[in-house]
Order: sequence, then C-alpha cells, then structure tokens
Amino acid sequence: MAAAAPARIVWKMATVVELVEETAHARTLVLDVPDWPGHVAGQHLDVRLTADDGYQAERSYSVASPPEDDRVALTIERIDDGEVSPYLAGELEVGDRFEVRGPIGGHFTWRAAEGGPILLVAGGSGLVPLMAMLRHRARQGSHADARLLVSARALDALLYREELMRLDDARDGLSITYTLTRDRPERWTGYARRVDAEMLEAVGPAVANMPRVFVCGPTPFVESVADHLVALGHDAAAIHTERFGPTGG
Amino acid sequence: MSTEPDATVLDANAIAGLLAEVFAGAEMTSASRACQSCGQRRAIGEHRLYRGAGLVLRCPACNDIAMIMVEGDGWREVRTAGFWSLRVPGPAAA
Repeated sequence: MAAAAPARIVWKMATVVELVEETAHARTLVLDVPDWPGHVAGQHLDVRLTADDGYQAERSYSVASPPEDDRVALTIERIDDGEVSPYLAGELEVGDRFEVRGPIGGHFTWRAAEGGPILLVAGGSGLVPLMAMLRHRARQGSHADARLLVSARALDALLYREELMRLDDARDGLSITYTLTRDRPERWTGYARRVDAEMLEAVGPAVANMPRVFVCGPTPFVESVADHLVALGHDAAAIHTERFGPTGG
Repeated sequence: MSTEPDATVLDANAIAGLLAEVFAGAEMTSASRACQSCGQRRAIGEHRLYRGAGLVLRCPACNDIAMIMVEGDGWREVRTAGFWSLRVPGPAAA
C-alpha cells in the first residue's frame, strides 16, 4: 500500500441499504460505499452531511461490521439534542445518500491473525468497534482467548444482545460478562456496579499472559478503566483506548 | 457552530481523518510521540483531544501540549511539541 494513500481520505457518496433498530436509542445503518477498500476491525468512518445552505457537519463513527462484509455498518446512538445523530438515527431512510471517507485510524484495531489473549471493555455504545473485532474473530474461525466485559445502564440499552448471546454460546474461546449499572431484571445474577479493578481482574486474562486490552466508551469510563488496568499491572503500551463523547452527537 | 459541548475531552482517534488530511494521507493515530515533559512514549491515538477555538492534543500521561491546530479561511496551521515518530510504508527491500 502506498505511503500517502489519499484514496482513504477522499469523500465518497454512500447509500443506505438497510436500517436496523438496535435499541430505543440506537440504530444500525448498513451502507453501500463505492470502491470500499476494506477495513480492519476497530477502524472508523467519517461522515459529512451538507445542508441545503451549504453548512457542513462532520462526525466520526466506528465501523460495526467485520472486514469480511462487503457492506459497511455503523451503529449510531441518538443524542436527542445532537446535531447529526437525530438525523442519522432518526429521519434517515433506506436509499438516502451522504458523504463518507475511510477507513480511518490504525491504533485501535485488532486482526484475528494477531491472536490473543485480548480483553475488550465496552461502556455503552463503546461496544461498536469491539463488536467489529468479535464479528471478525468469529468469521475467521479464530479461537483466540477473548474476554468481553460490557457495561450498560440496563439490559434494554445493550446493543447486539441476541448476537452476543450466540457468540458466547459458541464456546470457542470467547467469554462475555455483563454489568448493568442502573436497572437490572429480576433475578439478575451478573454484575451490578461500575467496572472496577476487582471486576477487571476476575474477568480478564491474567496480567502475566500479557493480554492486549481495548477499552472504548465515554471519556470518564475509559479513564477510570485504564487507571484500574495500570494499577493491576497491565503494561500501559498494551492498553488501547478510544473515547467518545457528546461531540459525536 | 452547534449547541453541543464541543469542549468535551476525547482522544486523537476522533480526528484520525483530519490528521490524515494534514499529514498527507499518513495514518497518524498509530504513530508514537515521546513527551518532552514526562518522557513517556505513547501512541498519538491515546493523546487527549480538547476542542475549542482550535484543536489541542495533550499527553495522556502528563497533559502537556503535544499539538495545536488552528484553521482559518483557506489555511491550517499545525504546531507540534515533543518527539513524534511516524513509520509509513515505503519501498520493500529488493
């Protein structure tokens, strides 16, 4: 691949081919992007919307689909007073078009060939890029030791719930743990608190096995989890973080 | 520009596309930077991003400034601090 591969940063017109309501607040957009060069799980796509008066708004979204898919899926959480997400996760319809560029980023990525162990820690819709990694892992038939810890406010706010259950049932070296921080169903036996050092130690691969760790979520979540991981003895260089916030609105 | 709280701290992954634009297509989030203040070497993607009138990247270990980017009408100015190390694909050995 050429060093200055400008193809990646050229804006292209994407077409919405499918919409999937994931939760009451999040929706997946399946896009047809012409000449999509393929991506690595964990990478982003920049989206640019242009209003009739020429005003433009740009946002960066993690790709949810695995590299094995021809189409590119984004899962977008609707932020009610946001500028872009109420449109993308609300008004947008199949057949609509908007500009995208990508794939973008290379720090927060994982390839099945890199193997395990890996520890993935998701806060809310921080699950999206980690889901791309798990979908990729499954499609490659990888048995790499992978642990996913998902923190969500409540069960109905959890993205990809049924798919996660199926992935977990495969018993192929992946284990998934949930913590629900606000509302729990009756007889909930999983964790019911914010992610802390004790939880990370119980869920994650042993520090001695030098797992690569990927943490994605709101900034306070990511900072807190990263601090706990360092305190547990994880090498800072093995901890990959990605923060998102209301600017993604 | 919008009513959204633009000052919220994110990280450089959020501006990977803009960085690629500025640095001639290079993927910058996996580049590393050694901080001149604390000496720690971290990936650019780990650096904290502050958005205000311009963009500021700060060291994730000590918060010292790593990059400032300001934009005007038709121009962009980028100032970097610390030691940035970028590896890009080049010609393969014969």
